Amino acid sequence: MPLTMAQIGEVNTIKSIGGKTDTKNFLEHLGFHVHGTVQVISSQAGNVIVNIKDSRVAINKDLANKIMI
Amino acid sequence: MITAALAGNPNSGKTTLFNALTGANQRVGNWPGVTVDKKEGWVKKDRSLRIIDLPGIYSLSPYTLEEVISRDFLLDEKPDVVINLVDASNIERNLYLTTQILDMGIPTVIALNMMDVVRKAGDRIDTKKLSQSLGCPVVEISALKGEGLEDLLREAAAAAGQKKAPFERRFSAPVEQALEKIGALIAGAVPEERRRWYSIKFFEQDAKAAEKTGLAPEALGAIDKIIKEGEKALDDASASIITGESYDYITGITSACIKKSRKGLSASDKIDRVVTNKWLALPIFAAVMIFVYYISVTTIGAIVTDFTNDTLFGSWIMEPLAGWFEEIGTAGWLASLIVDGIIGGVGAVLGFVPQMLVLFLMLSLLEDVGYMARVAFIMDRIFRRFGLSGKTFIPLLISSGCGVPGVMASRTIESERDRRLTVMTTCFVPCGAKTPIVAMIAGAVFGGVWWVAPSAYFVGLGAVIISGLILKKTRPFAGKAAPFVMELPSYHVPAMGNVLRSMGERGWSFIKRAGTIILMASIVVWFFSSFGFVPAEDGGGTSFAMVEEMDESMLAVAGTKVAVIFRPLGFGFWQATVASIMGLVAKEEVVGVFGVLFGVEGDALGLVEDGDFGALSPIAAPFTMLTAYSFLVFNLLCAPCFAAMGAIRREMNSGKWTAFAISYMCVLAYAAALMFYQFGILIAGAGFSLGSVVAIAVLALIIWLLVKPAWTEKKAAAPLAAEAAR
Repeated sequence: MPLTMAQIGEVNTIKSIGGKTDTKNFLEHLGFHVHGTVQVISSQAGNVIVNIKDSRVAINKDLANKIMI
Repeated sequence: MITAALAGNPNSGKTTLFNALTGANQRVGNWPGVTVDKKEGWVKKDRSLRIIDLPGIYSLSPYTLEEVISRDFLLDEKPDVVINLVDASNIERNLYLTTQILDMGIPTVIALNMMDVVRKAGDRIDTKKLSQSLGCPVVEISALKGEGLEDLLREAAAAAGQKKAPFERRFSAPVEQALEKIGALIAGAVPEERRRWYSIKFFEQDAKAAEKTGLAPEALGAIDKIIKEGEKALDDASASIITGESYDYITGITSACIKKSRKGLSASDKIDRVVTNKWLALPIFAAVMIFVYYISVTTIGAIVTDFTNDTLFGSWIMEPLAGWFEEIGTAGWLASLIVDGIIGGVGAVLGFVPQMLVLFLMLSLLEDVGYMARVAFIMDRIFRRFGLSGKTFIPLLISSGCGVPGVMASRTIESERDRRLTVMTTCFVPCGAKTPIVAMIAGAVFGGVWWVAPSAYFVGLGAVIISGLILKKTRPFAGKAAPFVMELPSYHVPAMGNVLRSMGERGWSFIKRAGTIILMASIVVWFFSSFGFVPAEDGGGTSFAMVEEMDESMLAVAGTKVAVIFRPLGFGFWQATVASIMGLVAKEEVVGVFGVLFGVEGDALGLVEDGDFGALSPIAAPFTMLTAYSFLVFNLLCAPCFAAMGAIRREMNSGKWTAFAISYMCVLAYAAALMFYQFGILIAGAGFSLGSVVAIAVLALIIWLLVKPAWTEKKAAAPLAAEAAR
């Protein structure tokens, strides 16, 4: 399921990342890579703040929907 | 001389380290992306060591401007050593960049920053083991406290002598096979010490790196085949394979070198749970902002501003100076130039400085703590609907104090489209200097009804929203707002040094502008408003001389000519025109000019501030409520003051875009005031006229611009659609 639907506080493993090549690569460089873990800290109408590799990254709904967990 | 490049993730403390090493005064923000260009400086104690501060980057792949700048520097300028700043508190993500730097084969020293944070959390990092695994020196430092810097410099100087940093990491077998084959194909086309790096870049299908080598098309075709095989073997895009395996490699290292004690949420995450909570985020944000404005505008700011305007510039500088000029018998025009033109004009602007400093102090504080980055996130879902990004919110907010720092604040928006859109719209928000105009109209014409002031803010915000909606459909702004991705810094106790520096820098650039562009503009406007052709004293003809009253000046004569274009807006008399022009110097001048032109007893601006609207009644005479409000709308939205225009010019970095932005504001202001007035008189029963027709046409045009399909490039649409379908 997409990251937007993750429970707050739950630690999830990333299964795949979709989207345009540029977007995908950018997310990967930020630490979103397949097999990596991601934890949603807070969520607002699909926009999420996640903990990824001990840093906090805010991403909007469009992007969060491309990250499958 | 040794050249050391300072590289690291955004917000890892690079600028702080640079300042600590070189003693420079670069601005530091708890906001990713403070460094946009590279900066250089010499080490304080050792002048033979030159430090280049590269922009903060997550990787060396050329997706963003910052990454391109950094990579080109490392590739072309060949620094002797790279100091790679690594934030120990999120070491995995930071080491990703490290692997890419090490791949390049430049001698590297890792500066492990924020170890104090790690220790406080109870985690342990074995730096010796880390150094062995990566094959490069690792030095623990604290950039903020200046600890470990001497060790770092010593290691950097030692490493600078080496030819090649011994870094050997292995990818999975299929990747290594592919890299070997690519390596054989490109041998000779690239420097030998960069062969491994270029092989990886070719495998990642990095077009910019491939371009640099100028490889023959046949070789490129062969490489393409190798990549396809690798992608097939591992069932993923080649770039993702490299990224994934890099992270696997890093996780392997960190799990051996790091002992984590904490399992639960960090303090920062706990705060975010509350502050960015679905229900609490907006109320908390509103409370914070009300508090900030209460402090900076209503209480402390107002006291200091009143003192500067009335006491400092008024009774301490202008009055004694005027008296002194009289005493020593200075020529009347010179005294007038200095007192009314220069001190009056510049003083009016400088009068806002204390209030702005208080506001900047509060905003810098919020930024340094880490809250501002969250605000952008919170506002994003609202702003996205209007084609703007959440990052637009901070500039808009600051513009409600003053448009100059507001425009400047747009610099942190990475996407050029979003940044230009923000620069173009942010001055619509009524700034502090426009409030006296609002107060004058509300008080003198509307008898002080409560709704005029809030309605001014709605007019401003409405203009921002409509502009966002219209402009995003035009060619230069077409396409979606850039997806919102932003790293949020950890909350931390503000460092007063940083806060004060940030406040000082913002304040200073404002003051500097008051000293240059506003000074010039004040002199020009003073000249045109003080001189004119008056009937010669001997009776025959006219002579060019200083005028007694402003209505004989060149400005009045020109104003009368120009006034005709404002007739459709309802305020086609020369005083209103001149006041609007004078508003370009500083918006509160509009009130001052009305005071002078209508012969109000005393200082009009002062009367507005004191709420003494009875004395202002001469101003109300030529206005009806409709024309007064139309005038207000025009002045709220039209070209901002010279200071703000200067800021727009600087941030747009293009004369064409500046001209476009300012013309857009003027056209929108004219259209809005026209519609308001024409529909107003129509409803009031003035009968249908040519003006009504034009107003209806304008309204229709705006509605069409709002609903028309967005501009798309037909040629670009096809491959994009294919990409989206993938």
